[in-house]
Amino acid sequence: MSSTTATSNVFGSHVPQPAQHGQPGGIMRRLNFVTGLIGGVVLATVAGVVTNILTPSGASTATFAPAAPDYVYLAVLLGWVIGFMAGMGAFVGPIRWMLGRELTHADAEYLAGKDLGWRRYWKFTTDHKVVGVQYLIMVMIILGFGGLLAMLIRTELGVTWAEVFSPSFYNSIIGTHGIAMIIGMIIVVMGPIANFIVPIMIGARDMAFPRLNALSIWLLVAATPCLISSLFQGGVQDGWSVYQPLASQGPPGMLGYQMTIIVFAFSTGVASVNLMVTILTMRAKGMTWSRTPILVYGVFAAALMGLYAFPFYQYSQILAMSDRIFNTSFFDPLEGGSVWLYENLFWLLGHPEVYVIIIPSAAVLMEILPVFYRKPLFSFNFAVAGIVGVVALSGLVWAHHMYMTGWAPAVNYPFMLSTEMISIPVGFLVLVAIGTMWRGVVWTRLPVMAIYAVIFNKMIGGVTGIYLSDVPVDQYMHGSMFVVAHFHYMLMGAGLFGAMGGVAFYFPKMTGRMLDERAGSIGLWTAFIGFQITFGSMFVAGLQGQPRRVLQFDSLFNISNWISTIGAYVIGIGMLIFLGAIISSWMYGEKASSNPWGSKSLEWQTPTPVPLENFEVLPVVTERPYDYGVPDPYEKDMDARDGDLDTEKVGSR
Amino acid sequence: MSTAQTTPDQPLSPTTGEPMTTIARRSKAGLWTLIVMDVSGTLALIISYTYLWSLNVNGGWAPPGASLSYSQTNAVPAKSSATFAADWPFWAIFGIVVLATLAMWFGYREGKKGNQSGLIVGSAAALLISIAGLVAQWIQISTFPFGAGNGAYASAVLLLCASNIFHFLMLIFLLTGVFNRARKGLISKAVYFQAQLMSYWMVWICIAILLGALCTTFLQTSPNTDPAIFGTFKQE
Repeated sequence: MSSTTATSNVFGSHVPQPAQHGQPGGIMRRLNFVTGLIGGVVLATVAGVVTNILTPSGASTATFAPAAPDYVYLAVLLGWVIGFMAGMGAFVGPIRWMLGRELTHADAEYLAGKDLGWRRYWKFTTDHKVVGVQYLIMVMIILGFGGLLAMLIRTELGVTWAEVFSPSFYNSIIGTHGIAMIIGMIIVVMGPIANFIVPIMIGARDMAFPRLNALSIWLLVAATPCLISSLFQGGVQDGWSVYQPLASQGPPGMLGYQMTIIVFAFSTGVASVNLMVTILTMRAKGMTWSRTPILVYGVFAAALMGLYAFPFYQYSQILAMSDRIFNTSFFDPLEGGSVWLYENLFWLLGHPEVYVIIIPSAAVLMEILPVFYRKPLFSFNFAVAGIVGVVALSGLVWAHHMYMTGWAPAVNYPFMLSTEMISIPVGFLVLVAIGTMWRGVVWTRLPVMAIYAVIFNKMIGGVTGIYLSDVPVDQYMHGSMFVVAHFHYMLMGAGLFGAMGGVAFYFPKMTGRMLDERAGSIGLWTAFIGFQITFGSMFVAGLQGQPRRVLQFDSLFNISNWISTIGAYVIGIGMLIFLGAIISSWMYGEKASSNPWGSKSLEWQTPTPVPLENFEVLPVVTERPYDYGVPDPYEKDMDARDGDLDTEKVGSR
Repeated sequence: MSTAQTTPDQPLSPTTGEPMTTIARRSKAGLWTLIVMDVSGTLALIISYTYLWSLNVNGGWAPPGASLSYSQTNAVPAKSSATFAADWPFWAIFGIVVLATLAMWFGYREGKKGNQSGLIVGSAAALLISIAGLVAQWIQISTFPFGAGNGAYASAVLLLCASNIFHFLMLIFLLTGVFNRARKGLISKAVYFQAQLMSYWMVWICIAILLGALCTTFLQTSPNTDPAIFGTFKQE
């Protein structure tokens, strides 16, 4: 089998191949999710036992707590992550590269999952479509876990006559719910849709760095148990922002949070690198920036924000872990540290992250609108300007989360101004959506319904956000349920409902089957109604003065909380219906044609299911992606006076 | 059917069939984005250092035993004789990484000219010097006149050095790869982009280590002689 002179036909070119050692794929043929689990569990056990033996008896942390639980738990977490990734085969590629052993085309095809059937979803598979589907499943697991915790939170707050959970457990489900949902929302579009769709949308055969793509999803898989395990180690006790010094004084569960973030930030970083390079260097011939779909802009913007902002979050957790384990004093004021340092590092990511969630979601909707309204996207350049404006301002607004901390009061007003300014480019995006819909002839399908839900929610979330960005108003509202309702309107109301629209839109391409629109619509609107009940009522509780994250509250707030809890159960029912629609449609749904929506963009011009190489011949782009209803300059009989916003003509086309 | 315009003498990627110049362009974009990511991480550490240095919370910036030009304001009684670190080891480590970078640049330039042995020697020298840098960094950390618990300065310096160790480990891994691949002819006059990108990456590592050395040399004693004092509440 070994030959240095063999050539292989790679997409029509005869390419010399390096020596093929054994079967294509080599050791990767033996590695999969099961070996990953075995590797993770074995190394975690060994690391935990050895650390327990080596830790001196009576050792204590800086806060005089016993050190052994911290050390052992950290060793277990590290052992799990390294062992799992080794068992999955994540280190095989880098080691092969280091040893100077080139992959053959046959190796690359095996790694991409060629002829592996369903098993490719359980391996370190490099094909972007497989990674997209893996992300979709992980998103559903993470959001399902976070949603379950949300139900527990609302149960506790709704049962005003009794205490369902201990305060400590309540605190930990609040924090874990928060970070699980944040992670889920960050990847809900950037994971499944960006990975599966964007390379096809730009006319590429795969991502720029396929192994990094596999690395990003499996790092996420490795990080998730770290977060879940923290619940059994005392939990995340002080909210998803884990402010210091409470975090340092909290139980070992805080280490689970920190490890999750450190690993997740790395996963997001490599995913961002991959997406950005793919978009920059692999667009099809003829796909100029003005012919590049708006989703690509949205994904690029989110990747860019993630790239510069996530390391700050990651380092805030590395420093916090160092304080806890090595007794450093970054955040300990008695030893020269500052909790404001933590808050700044945290919010340097914490606010751009909101746009990492919202921009791709908004971009998906702008992708959907022209297809179902059969009109060009209203002011494409305005949409791009909105995205660019958000990216430019996203790094200048973080301190509006710190008005009430006492940090640099003199900068409160500049940050108030920058925060209010960012509503302008965000407003651009809403205007583009409304402008596209204006006088259009709509084909009302499930993805379009999601747009209506998003616009409604985004208006409420956006306007209340402007209230909160004002320093005087924030002095009253800060730390209240009003804030909780506001950010749920943005992250869930705009982000998640938008992602639901995106999933409904791209479901046929991703799974080869049509989503059950009846069940999906019932789920979407049920969740929407529940959402308004839950968070509308929460606005009232906030205006009345109910503080967030507090288990016991005055009876003044009872009615609002009862209503919110009923609404939350309605959301839960709606989401379960939507989830059921996804699962049943995936298994038994009607088979989808290659372009069921009649879209003009590239991803819909490929067969369904999409072949491994996406395109047999790489496409050449000759027109804009949204030229619906626009006169074709090559049709001689086209009336030159036809306007592209003429509804009659648009409808007829 | 062919996916790219190729010329007969242009090497192709065995996995994708694309010209290696295309792979090089893509890898270069990847390197720049990775540098952006690492810049953010390094900036987080530099910001941490300068922020704590400027605030001097509780007078706890300097190690307890450091001799200061102003009255010791640390609310916590000195509990050790820990003091500031000497400057020169930071610069020695910076010098080592600069030397390694020059060696790699030499190798890259020679490889580009077709001198394969020059490429091999350059990358091998860069690898050995980087290993020396790692050892030097370890010696510096283990001989600091302070421990992790000796105040904010000690914390910030230790994490900067930990970042250096991480960078050295990455260099050693990457340079081992470059050396092996140069030896096997996978990096050569025809396909030299990996050596080129390695050189670019090493320039950034020099800058990262330089930023740390500048901080530890010129931002040592805090300018804040009247810091906020916390944690000394007394019951009247």
